[in-house]
Amino acid sequence: MPLLEIRNVSKIYGELKALDDVSLHVDQGEWVAIMGPSGSGKSTMMNIIGCMDKPSMGQVILDGVDISKESSKRLTDIRRDKIGLIFQQFHMVNYLTAVENVMVSQYYHSMPDEKEALEALERVGLRERARHLPSQLSGGEQQRVCVARALINHPELILADEPTGNLDEANENIVLDLFRQLHNEGTTLIVVTHDPEVAEVAQRTVVLEHGRMVREIVNERFGK
Amino acid sequence: MKRRAMFFRMITASLLRRRSRMLIALLSIAIGATILAGLVTVYVDVPRQMAAQFRSYGANMILMPAGSGVLSEADAEAAQTVIPGEELVGATPYRYVYLNMVRRQQTFAAAGTEFDQVQKTSPYFKVVGRYPSEPRQVLVGKSVADTIGVKENSVMELTWFPPSVDAAESPASGAAEIAPGMVLSGQAAGFGMQEGMNNKPVYVVVTIGDDGTIASLTVDTSGESEGFGTQCSESFFTDRFIGKPARDLELGKDVDAVSGATITSAAVVEAVNSAAPVDDTAAVLTPRTVNYTVVGILETGGEEEDYIYMSLDDMASITGQAGQVDFVELSVSASQDSLERYAQEISDSGRATARLVKRVIRSEATVLGKLQALVFLVTAVVLVLTMVSVSTTMMAVVAERRREIGLRKALGASDNAIRVEFLGEGLFLGALGGLLGAGLGFVFAQVVSVNVFGSDIRFSMLLLPVTVIVSMMVAALSCLLPVRRAVAIDPALVLKGE
Repeated sequence: MPLLEIRNVSKIYGELKALDDVSLHVDQGEWVAIMGPSGSGKSTMMNIIGCMDKPSMGQVILDGVDISKESSKRLTDIRRDKIGLIFQQFHMVNYLTAVENVMVSQYYHSMPDEKEALEALERVGLRERARHLPSQLSGGEQQRVCVARALINHPELILADEPTGNLDEANENIVLDLFRQLHNEGTTLIVVTHDPEVAEVAQRTVVLEHGRMVREIVNERFGK
Repeated sequence: MKRRAMFFRMITASLLRRRSRMLIALLSIAIGATILAGLVTVYVDVPRQMAAQFRSYGANMILMPAGSGVLSEADAEAAQTVIPGEELVGATPYRYVYLNMVRRQQTFAAAGTEFDQVQKTSPYFKVVGRYPSEPRQVLVGKSVADTIGVKENSVMELTWFPPSVDAAESPASGAAEIAPGMVLSGQAAGFGMQEGMNNKPVYVVVTIGDDGTIASLTVDTSGESEGFGTQCSESFFTDRFIGKPARDLELGKDVDAVSGATITSAAVVEAVNSAAPVDDTAAVLTPRTVNYTVVGILETGGEEEDYIYMSLDDMASITGQAGQVDFVELSVSASQDSLERYAQEISDSGRATARLVKRVIRSEATVLGKLQALVFLVTAVVLVLTMVSVSTTMMAVVAERRREIGLRKALGASDNAIRVEFLGEGLFLGALGGLLGAGLGFVFAQVVSVNVFGSDIRFSMLLLPVTVIVSMMVAALSCLLPVRRAVAIDPALVLKGE
């Protein structure tokens, strides 16, 4: 059963076709990587899937809802309820501690619950660092907090934008291991990256170039 | 409840952990609130202060005799009953006479009054020493004290002619032989006996020296016109008689007249020529001399320094007219309208004529009005400046926190949530700044009050909520534009690798 279905989506900025008739479908529990060089339309795709932008043409159906027609207010609701976001730049609220940053996500979603937030941090191995401010955490630790924040509300879909772009190899592996765990638990993952190594740990890689989907690779090595 | 807890946790963390910017905003609000609280305090307290202040410029109502003549104390007191007791700050009666200092050949004006009331109606009186409290104690005006050289605790000798001299009983004039050592007294009609004046003759006391000529002359010119005839009691004039015979003196030949006081000069000459030995006449013309102790010197910088003040009882023993005053000064704490009504009622009662000291009352209202307008203006300007400052700071804060706001929106914050958070921070700042400002403002007002009015200010409990609420309103208004900016931020910006 598809969680996400993109049908003939185009996004046009003036003369520029950032996305040109792209179709994609992602099943529930699938782990898909979207790859491409910069300017290929990755970010636009990510914005549209993440309910932060609307396509100029085509349909996007997320969990049975056509999000290409919704108001931005509804899009905010859908994003909050269904999607966990992970960013390349981590993006933590710099004056809140790790656990508070996780709780911010709960706050907008439903109810802040410190115990649950601490459990999420425990899961990413940062229980001991819960009371630290972002400035006291390494990049890898910050990204792990962001993973905890993304999964705290049990989203249908985790959408990660270059999640390992700013990490060293050791931290990259920790984050990818977390993704693996999430996948094994049945969470749907869409990872946008330009890094082939990150792409090939996914089940399937979709390659974008100049706004068009040029290739789709099923990773042989997946699960190995 | 838990959401609210998280809300406050985020807001306080934002304020506490991101100090610098928020401190600037807080400082702006606190300064604005300080000025606001200070001015409001001054504003609220000023009418009270001003009333006290203006009252210290003296009485604002004067009771005078209803017709001509003197005012009886009983009438004055009855007249005052028109004014409610709690509004009557003080009522000071005054009775004036002229007294001589024989040795110095000088005349001074003396006033009988009630010293406990003087302190209420003339709080600006500065007394070196103390106010008289016993009989025969006097308070001497500084200019008098300087002239005659008395100080606190000096004893001064005052001489006066006992009153109730009837012109018909005047002594036979010129009859007696002049002998050395004799004391003569006499009187003659001066300016004071003219139509419309006080019906008081010029009195003289002459002592005859061993050579049979005049050894000393004391003149009572208290019935003459002040500044003209009264000069004739001063030594520059009386000295012209020394060494001259006490009979058949001619003005212009034996004795030169005081210019501008010819009538009085002539009266003195006539009184000397007709003076009779004291023993021959009834005691009526015998000058009485009493020693008074100076207990205080009065410094006012005004005409009050030219007088000698004593109790009404002492004054009555001099005038022989107990229970009579020339006028009563009232200090009344009431509005202009009430004052006018009281004055009218008193005058209508026929017991006394009440006059308002208009200058003081008018300026009180005018100054108050102007001051309050000024306070309003300054407060408005300060609040606008505070708003500009806070708004600018919050704009900078929003710019600085673009990414954070984008993140919050990406995490699912609705526009309203962002609005509430920023307004919440603004209101929190406003409350904090307001509290700080209320405290500082009170100190500020206190300093202003002590420096300007020389008195402590009353702390109004209303000040705290008013300052805090106004500060919060100013902070909220200042945040409107920055909040709009914040709401307009696109959550997608967090995805671009900025």
